[in-house]
Amino acid sequence: MDHEFSADEETLKDIASELTRFEIKRSNVIPILQMIQERHAYLAPEAIRMVAEHLGMAACEVYGVATFYNQFRFQPPGKHQIKVCLGTACHVKGGDIILENFERKLGISEGQTTPDREFSIDRVACVGCCALAPVAIVDETVYGKVAPSKVEGLILGFEIEKEKEERRKQRDESN
Amino acid sequence: MEEITLTINGKKISARPGSSILDAATENGIKIPTLCHHRHLTPVGACRICLVEDEKSGRIMASCVTPVSQDMAIRTDSPTVRRHRTNIVRLMMANHPESCIVCSRGNKCELRQVAADLGVGITGLYPMPYYRGLEQANPFIIRDLSKCILCGRCIRADHELVVVGAIDYNLRGFRSRPATAHDMPLEKSECTFCGTCVSLCPTGALSIGNPRYVGSPEKESATVCGFCGVGCTLVMGSVDGQVVETNPSHEDETVNQSTLCVRGHFAHDFLNVKERLTRPLIRKGGELSPSTWEEALNLISERLLSIKKTHGPQSLGLYGSSKCTNEENYLFQRIARSLLETNNVDNGGNVNGLSTMNAVAQRLGGSIPPARLSALEDAEVILVIGADPTQSLPVVGYFLKRASRNNGVPMIVADPRKNGLVPFASLWLPLSPQTDSDLIHALAAILYKREAFDARYIDRFTQGFDLYQKGLAAFDLGRASRSTGLESGLMEEAADQLQGKKIAFVVGQGVLLQRNGVQTMHALLNLALMTGSLGDQKRGIYILASENNGIGALDMGCAPGFLPGRGLVTDEARREYWERIWGVRLSPDPGLSMVRMVEEAEKGNLKALYVMGENPLRGFPEIERVRRAFQNLEFLVVQDILSNETGALADVVLPGAAFSEKAGSFTNLEGRIQSFESVVLPQGEAKPDLEILAQLAYRMGQADQDFSLLKIRREIRRVIPAYSELRDDPGQSWVTEMGDLGQADEEGHPVEFTPIAFAADRLRDDTYPLEGILTSTRLHLGSGTRTGLSARITGFSQGGDVELSFEDAARLDLVNGDQVRVSSKYGAVARRVRVKKDLPFGLVYIPVAFYGNEARQLVALTQPGKEESPGWMQVSVKVEKIENNEQ
Repeated sequence: MDHEFSADEETLKDIASELTRFEIKRSNVIPILQMIQERHAYLAPEAIRMVAEHLGMAACEVYGVATFYNQFRFQPPGKHQIKVCLGTACHVKGGDIILENFERKLGISEGQTTPDREFSIDRVACVGCCALAPVAIVDETVYGKVAPSKVEGLILGFEIEKEKEERRKQRDESN
Repeated sequence: MEEITLTINGKKISARPGSSILDAATENGIKIPTLCHHRHLTPVGACRICLVEDEKSGRIMASCVTPVSQDMAIRTDSPTVRRHRTNIVRLMMANHPESCIVCSRGNKCELRQVAADLGVGITGLYPMPYYRGLEQANPFIIRDLSKCILCGRCIRADHELVVVGAIDYNLRGFRSRPATAHDMPLEKSECTFCGTCVSLCPTGALSIGNPRYVGSPEKESATVCGFCGVGCTLVMGSVDGQVVETNPSHEDETVNQSTLCVRGHFAHDFLNVKERLTRPLIRKGGELSPSTWEEALNLISERLLSIKKTHGPQSLGLYGSSKCTNEENYLFQRIARSLLETNNVDNGGNVNGLSTMNAVAQRLGGSIPPARLSALEDAEVILVIGADPTQSLPVVGYFLKRASRNNGVPMIVADPRKNGLVPFASLWLPLSPQTDSDLIHALAAILYKREAFDARYIDRFTQGFDLYQKGLAAFDLGRASRSTGLESGLMEEAADQLQGKKIAFVVGQGVLLQRNGVQTMHALLNLALMTGSLGDQKRGIYILASENNGIGALDMGCAPGFLPGRGLVTDEARREYWERIWGVRLSPDPGLSMVRMVEEAEKGNLKALYVMGENPLRGFPEIERVRRAFQNLEFLVVQDILSNETGALADVVLPGAAFSEKAGSFTNLEGRIQSFESVVLPQGEAKPDLEILAQLAYRMGQADQDFSLLKIRREIRRVIPAYSELRDDPGQSWVTEMGDLGQADEEGHPVEFTPIAFAADRLRDDTYPLEGILTSTRLHLGSGTRTGLSARITGFSQGGDVELSFEDAARLDLVNGDQVRVSSKYGAVARRVRVKKDLPFGLVYIPVAFYGNEARQLVALTQPGKEESPGWMQVSVKVEKIENNEQ
């Protein structure tokens, strides 16, 4: 399947070998999905198909079960993971505006990953620094008192970083 | 078990233990409103509309999923129930868009009905419709999920009835909806576009694509599908004399109940195309120009009689139709035999495989006893050979998948490739093409060695077992393993599954049209006899007749060598019977098949041909030969509903009526005779084919005879014992036993075993190293004359791609989507290629019916089922890449 979030060969091989540990019964579908997410961080379309084949179910059934639960994700986490807090304090201070800014800037919704797999956005509930509301966590860094202009700046920073990286690569290659 | 007694609304009733309150109420005429419930689906209790109250406890429960219990007291319409029910409907309405006026579900919307019954006019709630985009990506189904009430009927239809597994609930809560895996468009999912979900959807969330009309049809009436041999009951809705939509009838006693396939549901838009013939045409000065019926019929009658007088009756040929009704085919062959005194009659179904069945049916005294499709669901074991009904006869596919998935019936599928049934099979035998007979012999030999045969049955109904068992004992299993390419362990495993059981055989065109078809059929019959698997309607040999009335046309005697009721023309006693009835002398000559008629026309011996409802210039191999042969004729009459390739050569073209525009009866592959009435009137000046034939017979000297539908039906009932139950009113009856089986102790003859022989080796040709296999797809039927004119079918771009294996693709340097030329000794086709990982190397699958059915041009014009015929199924081919600059 050509899909922007296809899994690579190695992942598929790993899933195939792990699957053999599970008995063929429908009640195993959630443990299997959890195992895959634990090992590979998300459920790729191929993974869903493999689970379906293993259990003799239709792929849509497996997907249906998986989408019922919030714990499963269907897109790989981005290289940079953006978490926007929508806890009470952040909500009051306009956290939803911040989330919307990230979403608009990156062209994806919360829970999704950009097609180039650079960024993913998630919403979280209270990260414990309400005094800094509204809060966003990008990778391991906590940003407090986020404003729309700060969102712009953050993303710009990453893009410049990436651009530099590429130029360096090109230079190395030409040398 | 004892009946349970309970009271509903104060009325004492009894019900079967285990039945639901809803069922018990319905059986006793108490109406409870429902939305998610459908009697062909497992109840799930999703919508809660069917709530009832337990009088004793005051509990409110969903009646569709609550079983009855002793002394229960139920109220279906108490104030509490009504209040709850009204609130649920109010919430549904508040969530529903206000689009009723442009919704194609119109007055058939069940939500609207339930709301109206409860008096919910205004919800009094803040409207909160969940708008989602209208999806209309394919020509078949329009999806508007804002109208979805999450009843799950579509999902259950998909899982339980047609067993495809394309959709399921996605997400949860407000965002929940029925969708495919990863929410891909339907075109990219497993969906087969059977439309079963559309016809079961209670609201307008799913509707038929490309509607020519929005709203409820003026009139709805039932008829029988004119495509394949399953004979599904259709309900056609019409407006202004035109069919605008097609749905299954949902009646319990029909073959298809709530299901249909993509052709039956969506391809009937061909009925309204501009290519429909609306008036008679006569060739004048080289051009076909409109004429009157009077002129056309007089001309035909004069010309046919004068050619008969000058050149003799053998110079006339008549090609009847496996798509026309029983009554029409009966009159057609009667005109041929009694008025024109020729036995040169054939029909399209016979040419396309049923002649192979016939060759073998003679061992059973005429016909293979038909078995009922419903019996497949509780068969002991099923053997599918030379067939992929998921493509060719999808509704048979549903029966098989349900048997396997729901009832655990073991199913062995013998097919070179991993066809659509293999995922449901208990065992897949990937045999080499055309070696089916070797496989069947091998299975018989293994079973014989294990002494797994039905000695009592053999003793009672058969003869010649001594010789047959000698053959089995001496059978070279090693050679069979080599020829079929199946390891002996695999064949032993198949025998394990068959051992001690009655077998249901499902046989498709892969056998009927192949080179060793007759041999395979004989082998199958031997195995069926040996295991006692033939003779009642619960098991037996299912022949997948590809045309809606192929079986009926045969039964009516519209085939060379056969009289009505499948008696042989060469049988003097049978001839005398019909001579008495028709009051004429019959020629003892068996008559020519259509293929032989083409050959005789080439030689100039056949002078006139009357083609009714067939299009040989698209359906036949070696089309140029057929064209020259037809041009050689002095007189060609084509009676059809569409202006087609054959009609273009005709001297006279008569506009007939499609099945939906006339009354008649069709006989399906189970021997179910279904009488039907017309839905709409014929188009323009067109006439029902029976009326055309009757007028012709009148002009040819039978002015004293009444050939009305009722008269013909009465005659059929009287003179063809198997059709004694044929009904005048719409409805069904069954073909009664025509063969010897089951009558062995009365008048029937014991059935003979035939000797065992290995299949002929594959014809090898170094110039054409690959083996081409012509396959049918679910989008088209037969040569695609009708389905090819369906805007929905042609608007769906997929299909027609040639499939080959990874190995061959690598060797030929081909990737998905490359253009290739597939050529054989007889012709060539240019197609796109699709590389398939499950295909064995050396095989190329070429779908028929696409692009004018050119794939048939790869094979030679011979009669399948005749000994020297290489068949219409396989041919040696080569595949070459077409470079871009060549295009």
